[in-house]
Amino acid sequence: MAASQPFKTAGLLKGLMAKYYEQGNLARERGVPVAWVTAVSPVELVYAAGLFPYYPENFGALAAARKVADKISMAAETRGFFSDLCGYARCGLGDAYAQEHPVGKIVRPDLLFCCNTQCGSLQKWFETAGRLYKAPYFLLDAPLIENASTELVKRYFVEQLEEAINFFEVATGSPFNFDRLAEVLDLANEACRLWNEILDMAAMKPAPFGFFDACFHMAPIVTWRGTKEAVMYYQELKNELEDRLSKKIYAVPDERFKIYWDHIPVWPKLRWFSDLFAEHGALVAVSQYTHSWAYQFDLDRPLESLAENYSEVFSNRDFEDRIQLKINFMKKYQIDGFALFSNRSCKPTAFGLYDKRKIISDRTGLPGIVFEGDMSDLRYFSDEQVRNRFKIFFEQLT
Amino acid sequence: MTDHKTIKELCAQFTRIINEPNLEIQRVHAEKPAPIIGFLPTDVPEELIHASGAYPYGLVSYEGMWVNRADAHLQTWACSLARCSFGMALAGKFDYLSGLIIPHICDTTRMISGIWKQTRPYDFMENFVLPRQVDRPSARSYLIGELGRLKARLESFMGRSIADEELQRSISLYNKNRTMLRKLYQFHVRRPDLISNLDVFNAIKSAMLIPKELHNVMVSELLRVVEQQTHERNTDDAARGVRVLVTGKVWEPPAIMEILDESGGVCVADDLSTGYRYIANDVTENGNPLEALADHQLKRPPSPCFVNRGQDRLEYLVDKVKASGARGVIFLHLKFCETENYDYPLLRDALFDANIPNVRVESEIGNVSHGQISTRIQAFMEMLGGEEIYGS
Repeated sequence: MAASQPFKTAGLLKGLMAKYYEQGNLARERGVPVAWVTAVSPVELVYAAGLFPYYPENFGALAAARKVADKISMAAETRGFFSDLCGYARCGLGDAYAQEHPVGKIVRPDLLFCCNTQCGSLQKWFETAGRLYKAPYFLLDAPLIENASTELVKRYFVEQLEEAINFFEVATGSPFNFDRLAEVLDLANEACRLWNEILDMAAMKPAPFGFFDACFHMAPIVTWRGTKEAVMYYQELKNELEDRLSKKIYAVPDERFKIYWDHIPVWPKLRWFSDLFAEHGALVAVSQYTHSWAYQFDLDRPLESLAENYSEVFSNRDFEDRIQLKINFMKKYQIDGFALFSNRSCKPTAFGLYDKRKIISDRTGLPGIVFEGDMSDLRYFSDEQVRNRFKIFFEQLT
Repeated sequence: MTDHKTIKELCAQFTRIINEPNLEIQRVHAEKPAPIIGFLPTDVPEELIHASGAYPYGLVSYEGMWVNRADAHLQTWACSLARCSFGMALAGKFDYLSGLIIPHICDTTRMISGIWKQTRPYDFMENFVLPRQVDRPSARSYLIGELGRLKARLESFMGRSIADEELQRSISLYNKNRTMLRKLYQFHVRRPDLISNLDVFNAIKSAMLIPKELHNVMVSELLRVVEQQTHERNTDDAARGVRVLVTGKVWEPPAIMEILDESGGVCVADDLSTGYRYIANDVTENGNPLEALADHQLKRPPSPCFVNRGQDRLEYLVDKVKASGARGVIFLHLKFCETENYDYPLLRDALFDANIPNVRVESEIGNVSHGQISTRIQAFMEMLGGEEIYGS
């Protein structure tokens, strides 16, 4: 996004996402049940079961990026949902009540499948939606992992995946097809591999691609993961980036600094931040967030492998692990400073950042800041305050 | 020796414990030293702590003045329960603890454990990583394993193993406490003039602050005197006051119960973690004690923290209102309590659909307008009382 020339694949992305939403709208007519799913959940099972996976978080992000999140949220807030709840959830619930649908109508679920590895907000949002739509709800529960995963947690996760398969079989009325799962996992592996190769290009200096570009291009790795569409898309994007490299087209033309960002972007301020960093010759190179989709599945032991991949992601890690993961990214991408986003909508990523900032600076010697805001709701964002925070930060970089 | 104590004097003992909780536990500790292991409310297997030889101690008595002490480490939009507990820890209020067990029931408890461990650790810092769904077979097998893990950690810290018989003895002791407190609760429902809302909730909360051996003696004395008085006076058991159900996480600040008492409200049922949820069900006394503890946890009354498709909270609350004869429901919510805030609108609608009047009262530890809460509760009581009059 920060690059002066737009990506050619942007058009492809638009088409791909239009096709995704169209499938969602047509699913029910075609007799395909719609399953609400969360971004970091084993959607591979959902695809393999022949259900249509619908991502209400994606709806929230879209509304946020189009700067209408607060408007849609109001419909939920007037019903008694409090403004301190997750911005995505307020959007998703709000659209069910709203008269106007500025980003299209959220698709009604036939069943809901939530993994709480990201947060307990999703658990509650989906539970609430299950009550609202009177649809069956399955929680794939991820106990927090401290230090290393245990057999206990793995066993629990695998047992739940088996329960989830039964849950899907009831919805589809047909037995789960493990051969189909192997195909889906294979495609997911390929898409994740390409996606991470693309993300790694941000380590080059100067780099053709950064975090804000990743935010723009991430929708298919979330929604189409496990299909050939995702593989095709990221192959195209990778080709384009290689082409850009040969033509010396960089994300930030005069890149001087590389920044680590944590965690999610401020969607309605994507361009604003992108410009703010570019003005200072800084490329936001990496965030844990876009690296969430870095799975590698073992096709010979699909359920165990799904359990390992999904229960061991960073969002299911404790305080110290999360610090270490951030520091690892900082080393790998040769980071010059870091910005930590205290996101009102996201307690699990925000709580602990005040201490983490200090600890990371102590251990790495890098300058870092914490700033306050909300990933989707501009009522909790002050341009001036944030700009002032970053002014000090940029001074420390030089 | 306590024959001459009145109900009020006996109840005042609970108030004293809650007002200065450190005094009693430190006195007990001085008499018979053993590590004191704290826990955040209240989905924690206290019986395990007890069986290990340590003193379980609930962080449930709050001093609002310390809320802001947490601000350098925790965002102000975390709930005041977390901020206050942690703020008090930072202020050194819990320095007599040797350990702390944090049950993972929401994002805040899940994240605060790391911050706490980093900034103010005790020798024994453990999470109790609960399953957040409770009605599928996987939850039970996982929870038995997690209880086993916690038991092993306690054994290692205490330097001794916990025999099944010891754990069973602790379970019996705790069952006795729950049984007596349920009995007291029923006395309160029938005779709120003898046992007020504040009395019964103080009795429950204080059970988390002193050893159950002592608490059992106190509750049994109280029960004896109450039984005697109800027998002697032989007044009818007709309900006095306006019967209400209270739903929420905790009854903080405690003045809320005084306000309810003054407004003529009688809490006849609740699902509060520091209320009936703490005493609602017993642990099976025969069989494998860890399995029994797991079943106990899974069968606690529905809470917004756990997904229970088998018994959804919506239906549970409506049924509970009918069974208890409550005329209305008070939602007692802490500001920024996410799990309650998600549940609230649909719970409220479900109650209205069932023609059950309800009101939401929001409070915040350390930042409360008693006047506002009082006005809200009083208005609600008048409305409910009015209905009673017009309805008859």
